[in-house]
Amino acid sequence: MKPLAAPLLAALLLAGCAAPVKPWQRELLARPEMALEGDALAAAQRKQTEFSKEGSSGDTALAGGGCGCN
Amino acid sequence: MIRTPLWAALLFAASASAATVGQPAPALAGTDAGGAAVKLADLRGRVVYLDFWASWCAPCLQALPHYQSLARELEPRGLTVIGVNLDRDRALADRALKRTGASFPVVFDPAGRWAQAFALPAMPTSYVIDRSGTIRHVQSGFRAGDEAAIRAAIEAALKETP
Repeated sequence: MKPLAAPLLAALLLAGCAAPVKPWQRELLARPEMALEGDALAAAQRKQTEFSKEGSSGDTALAGGGCGCN
Repeated sequence: MIRTPLWAALLFAASASAATVGQPAPALAGTDAGGAAVKLADLRGRVVYLDFWASWCAPCLQALPHYQSLARELEPRGLTVIGVNLDRDRALADRALKRTGASFPVVFDPAGRWAQAFALPAMPTSYVIDRSGTIRHVQSGFRAGDEAAIRAAIEAALKETP
């Protein structure tokens, strides 16, 4: 019993770390500053530049590129 | 051995099942903004529309005015609309209530006790609870146009005699 107590306690305490966030607990995650892309327009422009300039390395799954006209 | 109940508790915590159609609504109690008691068990005999919402959830705010008009229109026929707010900051909840014009009773549940008991599948989620305390309809999420299905479920429950 005793040698099992420590890992058991750890498992109990750490269970919270792995628990997924429940739908009603997303308060902070729902804040605008928590968005992966804060500004949709700026993100689209950045992406256009990125796949034009880095097209040769197959970025965003498209071969070729360079002119930024696709 | 102490191990078994501990693991059982862990398993149980991981699989808290959602409140679904046909199940009795959990018997919960709380207080509204004015301090009046709100007890689901006391509302047997009335159809209850229980709406879980929060100020940070856009579709929740979109739905509140619809629920307000449902409350106004169907209350004389036996409908009670109750909101359950899940904001941790009460001021944000009050501001949202003011902005949407919702005046039905709202239980403030910052710890998520009610949400846990119902195991909400999404935000917002609303429940139509019939006169005998059984869940009759689960409205998970809200989009414009969902009002018709919600109203139909409430109307069906209102037509039944207790």
